[in-house]
Amino acid sequence: MSLSRVLIYSLVLLAAVFYLLPLFVMLMTSLKDLEEIRSGTLLSLPQGLNFDAWSKAWGTACTGVDCNGMKGFFWNSVLIVVPAVIISTILGALNGYVLTKWRFRGSNLFFGMLLIGTMIPFQVILLPMARTLGFLGLAGTTSGLIMVHIIYGLAFTTLFFRNYYISIPNELVNAARIDGAGFWLIFFRIVLPISVPIVVVSVIWQFTQIWNDFLFGVVYSSGDAQPITVALNNLVNTSMGVKEYNVDMAAAIIAALPTLLVYIVAGKYFVRGLTAGAVKG
Amino acid sequence: MNVSSSSRQSLGTLLPKIVVAPTFVVTLVFIYGFMLWNAWLSFSSSRMLPKYDWAGFIQYEKLFANDRWWVAAQNLLVFGGLFIVICLLVGLFLAIFLDQKIRAEGAIRTIYLYPMALSFIVTGTVWKWILNPELGIQRMVREMGFESFSFDWLVNADMAIYTVVLAGVWQSSGFVMALCLAGLRGVDENVVKAARVDGASMPLIYRRIIIPGLGPVFFSALIVLTHIAIKSFDLIVALTGGGPGYATDVPATFMYTYSFTRGQIGLGSAASMMMLMAVVAIIVPYLYSELRERKQ
Amino acid sequence: MKALKIQNVEKTFGSIKVLKGIDLEIEPGQFLILVGPSGCGKSTLLNMIAGLESVSNGNITIGDRDVTHLDPKDRDIAMVFQSYALYPNMTVKQNISFGLEINKTPKDELEATVAKVAKMLQIEPLLNRKPKQLSGGQRQRVAMGRALARDPSIYLFDEPLSNLDAKLRVEMRSEIKELHQRVGTTIVYVTHDQIEAMTLGDVIAVMKDGEIQQFGSPQDIYDNPKNQFVAGFMGSPSMNFVPCDVKQGMNGLVLVLESGGASHELPVENGIEGLSEYVGKKVVLGIRPEQLTQVSEDKPDTMTIPCLIEIIEPTGPDTMVTARLNGVRTVCRVHPTAQSKVGELMPLQFDMSKAVFFDPDTEQRIY
Repeated sequence: MSLSRVLIYSLVLLAAVFYLLPLFVMLMTSLKDLEEIRSGTLLSLPQGLNFDAWSKAWGTACTGVDCNGMKGFFWNSVLIVVPAVIISTILGALNGYVLTKWRFRGSNLFFGMLLIGTMIPFQVILLPMARTLGFLGLAGTTSGLIMVHIIYGLAFTTLFFRNYYISIPNELVNAARIDGAGFWLIFFRIVLPISVPIVVVSVIWQFTQIWNDFLFGVVYSSGDAQPITVALNNLVNTSMGVKEYNVDMAAAIIAALPTLLVYIVAGKYFVRGLTAGAVKG
Repeated sequence: MNVSSSSRQSLGTLLPKIVVAPTFVVTLVFIYGFMLWNAWLSFSSSRMLPKYDWAGFIQYEKLFANDRWWVAAQNLLVFGGLFIVICLLVGLFLAIFLDQKIRAEGAIRTIYLYPMALSFIVTGTVWKWILNPELGIQRMVREMGFESFSFDWLVNADMAIYTVVLAGVWQSSGFVMALCLAGLRGVDENVVKAARVDGASMPLIYRRIIIPGLGPVFFSALIVLTHIAIKSFDLIVALTGGGPGYATDVPATFMYTYSFTRGQIGLGSAASMMMLMAVVAIIVPYLYSELRERKQ
Repeated sequence: MKALKIQNVEKTFGSIKVLKGIDLEIEPGQFLILVGPSGCGKSTLLNMIAGLESVSNGNITIGDRDVTHLDPKDRDIAMVFQSYALYPNMTVKQNISFGLEINKTPKDELEATVAKVAKMLQIEPLLNRKPKQLSGGQRQRVAMGRALARDPSIYLFDEPLSNLDAKLRVEMRSEIKELHQRVGTTIVYVTHDQIEAMTLGDVIAVMKDGEIQQFGSPQDIYDNPKNQFVAGFMGSPSMNFVPCDVKQGMNGLVLVLESGGASHELPVENGIEGLSEYVGKKVVLGIRPEQLTQVSEDKPDTMTIPCLIEIIEPTGPDTMVTARLNGVRTVCRVHPTAQSKVGELMPLQFDMSKAVFFDPDTEQRIY
């Protein structure tokens, strides 16, 4: 192996260590008890597989006043993510279908408006949305959060489906129209069956976005209705009692696990969504 | 043409519009309507509760007279600038290295990119632990024998913002790598062959032919990174909480603090309008270049 | 009753007029070709017949029904697309039967139709495959099968052969012709390939810039083009266009031809009255390569002019030689045995009986 190859491999591996290190530290710390943490260092290995911190993080850790661990908040996130992902993906698919195969006067303008919607900083809508949720009686509830996530996810899902459907030849739709199929029949029989890849991309993207959201969660939810990211932040930054780093790390892993799992199982689609969502239009 | 077929026709042309109507209304109200609503708040004298009066530019004047706002704006410039430049460089070089027919490329790519799947809150939590002076890196190096080693950036008001850069780069550089790698794979092999026949060395080919060809990739990466930087909120909340003091405040945390914990709605909305302006300043040239490209 | 009647049909996109008042009608069972260069509006016209694009103005009648504003599904048509447009998620069989299924055709009738069509196109072994498992030619057959299953009053073909390689294209061309002879249904067929137009059509509409330039039988269009565009578009190699001065000769009008360094006078034989107005002016002589041949004993009356040969291209049955007449490169079709060399003078025989003339400004035929 030539010198330059050795150099390249060392740099590649060094970078890999840099990216893996925090995960490693997180895992190791979560398996230690507080005494080991105080006497050891970041990289020292735990003396055994000690899952106490995990069960505490899941069941009894204090996030502010309550001490019920992350489990309730984990299920909150699931409860928010599932309907929000399903609804925003269905609407996005229909929008993309109309915007490519049933264009009308002004449909491009509509798409342009949506596109800009993917780029605005959400801070500009935080206050009006807070008022609106209050009017609707949804302030501080998971239903309110579901609504917010659907609304501000629509632009992305529409973008995904629109960009995917634009590569489906119009002739396919025309052929079906001549065969006598209408709007819904074409969508369900022709278009949807070939949309599996983009449905996966959209679902994964929305899932990670909503699961990882903190801004909407911290602003629009309170008490028992908070999603896991907010609860994790409360747990870590709670100033009461002894700082339990092992519990913090276990909780962080619990919060990261679903999206990490999705990434490992369907990384290809994850990357595709990332690039498609990033390189807008 | 009889009546029934004409009504069927009109339903046929209406149906697509009916299908997109909910999204259209939602976009109009919840994005554009709310933007205007927010703009109005920023011109009102709202404090704890919104007041719909006209107070002119008072909130903006208050904002510009607020030291903390200027710290936040400056932090955004420092954090944003470093975060973007370092992410681009790291991403590009990692992509070039990975493009050298590396063994186990897939696994390594997965490793570089996984932080992107994490919430910024998780990223902030773990880096906060690693950078913790009492038990983190500083202690680890001291244990190794370097007793005088000091690494207290997290709690040092002058340096804390750089820890945010570090964690941000860790999370987002893999994404630039993925974009660049896709760009490198898209380079026409025949062009590279032609350059080699012309006698160019690989570093020269990268410098003169391949990297300049990645222009559009850099451009979209730049847009996305800028966007992440301006919106960055979670990372700072989790890593430094804006502290020490307000040393690492950015506009997003500033806006949140004033709107939701200090009861200064007018000021918060004015701050968010400034953030919108910043994004507009980036989007407009971007859209302009996109549209021009499409016309050509 | 006409099979298809198009009356003053127009199409505008914004301020651009893509079709400028198209009129044509065809008899039941006729094979109509719409041919022209890309952008001439032929595909737009076909899509309007199909109902896939709205008609800005005018009327379209299929049989005795005005279909101008009907949905595609109510027009009793079937269409074969350029990209075949096979439904990728369905098997060949499902592709063929989809339309029947939507029209609620009884199950046994549906099965029978699929079987009949599959037999006719010899695609029975493919019925359970998905489109992506088929070759280009097979996809083409399935696309035709899908149209055949509908048994419509008109078939529409949108450049169906343009995605096939050259050999397969020739094969499928004859199959389409044979199919038409067998089923006898009216066909409207869009192509940009003039050979397809000549070989397949009963009638041809040559289009350019949203207008029909000429409408007629293939032979008529080939022999009697109405203008320089049609003359140049139909036929391969193209008709030669040589600008010439018209002079009053001793036995009638002559054209002045500069060739091989000398000036020659070419008598105009076929008594075209309109030419007399051009004495002392220029006209464009349109002459096809096969009317410029080696000297042959069979045609003693034709005029022979020595020409300087610039290029020789053997094609097998004929050899194309390029000479320069009045400064214009002119292609001549000579027998392979008529040997000559580049740079030499070769006597070539001008068969003026089929020559045509065009006004150099309007490019219209002079009669």
